[in-house]
Amino acid sequence: MSQSAHDATSQTAPFRRPASEVMHLDRIGCSHPTRLSFLRSMLRRLHRENWKVDRPVWEVDATGSGHAVYRTRCGDRTYSLVAFAHDLPEDMRSDRVIATAWDATFTLFDGEPTQADIVRLRDNVPLQEAGRITTRELTLARANRSVRLFHHVVGALSQGLQPDPAEIADIGYLMRTTAVYGSGKFGAADRSEIADRPELAAPFQVEMLTVWLIRAFTVDIVEHMAVVKGGDRAVRLDRDLRRTLGVGNSTGLGMAPFIVRHPVLLNNWMIAREEALARVRAQSGATQPAVAGLRVALDAAIENARVWTSQHPLQVPKLAALRDDLRMLSDTVDTWDFGQPLPWDALWRWSVDVLSLEGQEALLSIMLEPHGDLVDDLADCMSADEAPSFRIDGAMCVRDLRTILKQNYSWALSIDFTTPENIARFWYVSEEKLEPRLGERATEEGATLEQPLCIARLVAELDETLQERDEDEPVAAVLLAHPEHRYVMRRVQIAQNHPFAEVQDNLISADMLPIDLLRCKLSFFGATRFDPRSDRWVRINLFQGAPFPDEIEQGYLP
Amino acid sequence: MTIAPHDQTRGDSTPYIEDGLSASLSRNEVASLCMKAARGAGMSWGLAEEAGFAAAWLVQHGINGPSHLYAHLDQAQGRPWGDLCPTVSPGAWEAPAGRALCPIALGATLCDYAELPEGIKAGSSLEIGKVDHPVLLIPFLAVIAASNDLLIDIVWTGGMVSLGGRSDTLMHAAHALAGQQVPITLTARSGKPQVATPGKVPKISAEIIAALNTLAMRTTVPSSESSRAGAGSTTTDND
Repeated sequence: MSQSAHDATSQTAPFRRPASEVMHLDRIGCSHPTRLSFLRSMLRRLHRENWKVDRPVWEVDATGSGHAVYRTRCGDRTYSLVAFAHDLPEDMRSDRVIATAWDATFTLFDGEPTQADIVRLRDNVPLQEAGRITTRELTLARANRSVRLFHHVVGALSQGLQPDPAEIADIGYLMRTTAVYGSGKFGAADRSEIADRPELAAPFQVEMLTVWLIRAFTVDIVEHMAVVKGGDRAVRLDRDLRRTLGVGNSTGLGMAPFIVRHPVLLNNWMIAREEALARVRAQSGATQPAVAGLRVALDAAIENARVWTSQHPLQVPKLAALRDDLRMLSDTVDTWDFGQPLPWDALWRWSVDVLSLEGQEALLSIMLEPHGDLVDDLADCMSADEAPSFRIDGAMCVRDLRTILKQNYSWALSIDFTTPENIARFWYVSEEKLEPRLGERATEEGATLEQPLCIARLVAELDETLQERDEDEPVAAVLLAHPEHRYVMRRVQIAQNHPFAEVQDNLISADMLPIDLLRCKLSFFGATRFDPRSDRWVRINLFQGAPFPDEIEQGYLP
Repeated sequence: MTIAPHDQTRGDSTPYIEDGLSASLSRNEVASLCMKAARGAGMSWGLAEEAGFAAAWLVQHGINGPSHLYAHLDQAQGRPWGDLCPTVSPGAWEAPAGRALCPIALGATLCDYAELPEGIKAGSSLEIGKVDHPVLLIPFLAVIAASNDLLIDIVWTGGMVSLGGRSDTLMHAAHALAGQQVPITLTARSGKPQVATPGKVPKISAEIIAALNTLAMRTTVPSSESSRAGAGSTTTDND
């Protein structure tokens, strides 16, 4: 979304939160999915455009090995998930990128695969990183079973029984993906080749479609294994119970640098969400359906917080605070005067005074929920063409560049990078696995190979250089003398027109939590049940409660 | 380090493109691999991004950008910035005495100066000293041409190519400029360049991919026990 869509003269301007309030790790680390999240906007489109989904191929044997094809047709186009099911020994199951085999592997094929395509894909998709796919493929993914729930559900269904709802609620998925790659990875189609298709224009739509179809596969494979085990006694999974299953996802540091490396995209995600909140707050009154919708969304949030569990010491107190907040919010909403002027804004202001960051960000999501007509168009503003912002404006003078630094980076310039705790970490890429990692500067080797992810420090170094330069000098001349500043110069010029482009914290400080970056990104995907397994590794759930392919036509929407 | 032929555990499949094979890389892969290789060869992060941009642009237009970039990096790696960057003044840019300019640094700097008096202007010529692998300049000149409505010619002793945007002239230019190390002059006149059309994606040889990967690996850090331990879950995944 361009700056013009967020212009200062708009009626919503007084209701917008500034980036300096929003873009801190502690707050983005409390992000909740909203109706603008990418899986939600994808499901709305599927429903609105009446996409047809079927499963023309199911060739899976009694060991659970084989392949299946899920076909999605929209208008003139077809997208097919090709799923390969594997019989994986337990000692090979790992969610890490270091894994070498998985319970199932997938690719989203652009069109309908021929038998020759299937043969080619079978030689490559199960190898994941060690295989090659082509521009006919849009994603590459893999998933592992939740061993406990998978066995429980197969066992129950094979005996003609439904699984225990408490077991399902406890885990929430039959399989979790450990990677879903798109955007030209491993030879797949580049994002730029598909970005002009309306159904794929929003961010991460092929990835979301892949995961949604994987979810259907996870149920089909347990029902298949139940029949293998129980024969005629086996029953299908109850449809209401089925809907409570999502797809799990394990993700780690690999995802964290993304929102730092894509400042324009991050800006557009944030600005759309913030504009949505501002539109809701700017309303002069509250309709009865909107108030009723708020109550429904609030009750759903309370239920979600009730079943959302985590053992991790970082998440346990946040969940407790969230539950307290939602209780308070519930009491407050029951007696809230929606007849007052600007009732939504008043409710929002109340929350800022009373609730923790968890509660405030949850309320944001809850307040958007009954206002689809008002905010859903903003989902169309969340993609980004990054190419135009790649070129540096070399004619800009040093004075103007320093003005941007003062206006957009005062948070960075106020950090003292001479203290050990403020440079305690460094981001690097491991030679062994080519994955991003975080090292301790004082005790680990490799800081000379630091990745440029601590924007604050790079900005501080640029500022130091600029102090020595003539104010009228063009930045082109600065770059000729200081090529080391080219990377950060690009960012600073981007920030001029993209106020939400930066996470406004020190990303190498001793107390930085990478999971805050992960939660921010995952909430835009639409992830729920954020469950940290360490300060840099997390499990989440996607599509829990959402319709299955055979339900989308029936009008069921989350 | 060694790369086992079927180590399936790395976030990149290009190491598996083996001897004698070639592959069509996506533009994202080209930009990413070339950026890392350029960084590994000693460019700053921002210039390395420019190298990734240039290689991906060339591939999009049917030209083997990774191969040209590798040829340049192989020659230029280790040379200090002062030996690679131009001295800039209106009408004439110079290479350091006895040296050839880095086409990536030159291209990026030409873009930086496009709106300044020292840059390429319609109706004038810009003399430039000796340039390594000037084929790598084409993406930068195409950007300037498109944003400033210029038709740009590259002239050198014994040759001249016009960058009008047409695919066949682009291929001709790439062919003529490949492997050169010559002083060049850029001349520009006003005109609307045609939008360069995408070309047939070239196959990149295993040899070039391996060579670029070797440079790219210089940006990575050998694993330690503590980094491995910190990267994943602290609890079991068999649950």
